[in-house]
Amino acid sequence: MISDITFGQYYPSKSVLHRADSRAKLLLTFLMIVFLFICKNFLSLGVMVLVTVLAVIFSGVPFRMLLKSIKPVIVILIFTALLNIFYTKGGDVYFEFWRFSITEKGINNAVFTAIRIITLVVLSSLLTYTTTPTDLTTGLERLLSPLNHLHIRVHTLAMMMTLALRFIPTLIEETERIMNAQKARGADLETGSLIQRAKALIPIFVPLMVSSFRRAYELAFAMTCRCYTGGEGRTRMKQMKLSGRDFALLAICLAACAGVIVLNIFFNPVI
Amino acid sequence: MSFAIEVKNLTHLYSPGTPHQVTALKNINLQIEHGEILGIIGHTGSGKSTLISHFNGLLKPNEGCVLVDGVDIHTNKETLRNSRFKVGLCFQYPEYQLFEETVYKDIAFGPKNMKLSEEEIRNRVLRAAQYTGVSGEMLDKSPFDLSGGEKRRVAIAGVMAMEPQVLVFDEPAAGLDPAGRKALTDLIKDYHRSTGCTVIVVSHSMEDIAKLAKRLIVINDGQVAMDGTLSEVFSQSEKLTGMGLDVPEITKIFAEIRKRGFDVPPDVYSVEYAEQIILSMAGRRDAQ
Repeated sequence: MISDITFGQYYPSKSVLHRADSRAKLLLTFLMIVFLFICKNFLSLGVMVLVTVLAVIFSGVPFRMLLKSIKPVIVILIFTALLNIFYTKGGDVYFEFWRFSITEKGINNAVFTAIRIITLVVLSSLLTYTTTPTDLTTGLERLLSPLNHLHIRVHTLAMMMTLALRFIPTLIEETERIMNAQKARGADLETGSLIQRAKALIPIFVPLMVSSFRRAYELAFAMTCRCYTGGEGRTRMKQMKLSGRDFALLAICLAACAGVIVLNIFFNPVI
Repeated sequence: MSFAIEVKNLTHLYSPGTPHQVTALKNINLQIEHGEILGIIGHTGSGKSTLISHFNGLLKPNEGCVLVDGVDIHTNKETLRNSRFKVGLCFQYPEYQLFEETVYKDIAFGPKNMKLSEEEIRNRVLRAAQYTGVSGEMLDKSPFDLSGGEKRRVAIAGVMAMEPQVLVFDEPAAGLDPAGRKALTDLIKDYHRSTGCTVIVVSHSMEDIAKLAKRLIVINDGQVAMDGTLSEVFSQSEKLTGMGLDVPEITKIFAEIRKRGFDVPPDVYSVEYAEQIILSMAGRRDAQ
């Protein structure tokens, strides 16, 4: 069934990371990812991995959920590792075959990038596991609010994002209903050539489009009825406030970043 | 003699094997005769819609089987496809499934999928249009230019045009005004009378069901709670109310009359029936 697809991967819990301010989480995730690419040797990378592991432990998100988010990048992981092994040359040669050779530097590079990619994926999925989509968009809206001075309507964009996220499950349900109705009229969605199958989707897409527009009009009407006029002068029920927790998180991340810089300076780079 | 639809030990689970597992249907056994007109009632979430989705193989049973004309519909691809054409399913708010440029083309979608000849398709579309009161000039219009009631008729015609042996309606009159409701129940009744095919109606409206069905099946918590004639089911109003259901208004009025000491039957489910009872009572009083 299509509705089995879980969208937005929020994992409900009450951990420290879940309760942290979404703005702080967004910024810190960004900062950590940048520093992940500043790392030059295994020691500085180790600092980042340590922070990530700590974050995972404190988030209370089960390990298998994280494995699930690493799964889609495994192909990329293997691909980059192979490229690194065969195309980076330097250091001791371990193995030679025709034009290919496996060198110390190649292996180092492969392992380094693999760890980097995994950490990157874990960090960014931790953000979505611990923050609801609504909090995420609100956080983004607040962070981007300086852009308002450039006449970019940040609130409108954030509202659009929130609505889009909100309607994904609804649309999935609707698609399933329409598919069943057309299947009941003998629509064949599974067999035939590519063109035939593309054509078979028309009876599903047309009603889906029609009902999406209907929903959009209804929603716009309902919002207007509740005096929605956009972001200006709008207050929030949940006020965002930075707390001691957020500053503690900030301190840990900054310490890690400082550690990365120091280790980069004092030890030889491998990459 | 095989049944139009026979359901044997049907169990259906949603998301089996996960913590979200829900038993939607539990060991259902049902026999539906050819030419029968049957009502299915049950509160929201009782499993009615899941049950009817099994009639044409949209869902696959976790246990048990569904036989259409004595053939298990999940035997192979062929039998599954045939079941789609033998059992027509008209979902709730069917007007949201319209998609073609013209009403004619939309009604022809089902017959076209059956790979019939152009001429046969034309005949079927015209017949279905006639049953549902879709006029000739409407056939060339875009379905999106029609009114809500007209769209509903076109959508129903789209299912009827496949000329299935069994026609299932899920809440056919939902969201229609009283005139539209009446027109639709009359339409279903006429269709049943003139084609003689099996008709199954799922509804929340006890009035509509009482007007249409002869036999009534009550689904409660994924199980068949009652199965009998209208009189048999509606005379047990307490049991029905206990399941979050109701009896027709007229049945309630007659229950009250009974309480006041008048000798009236407990199963009065339609105004016509009530009229008969009152007239016969008046006749008896005059005779005394």
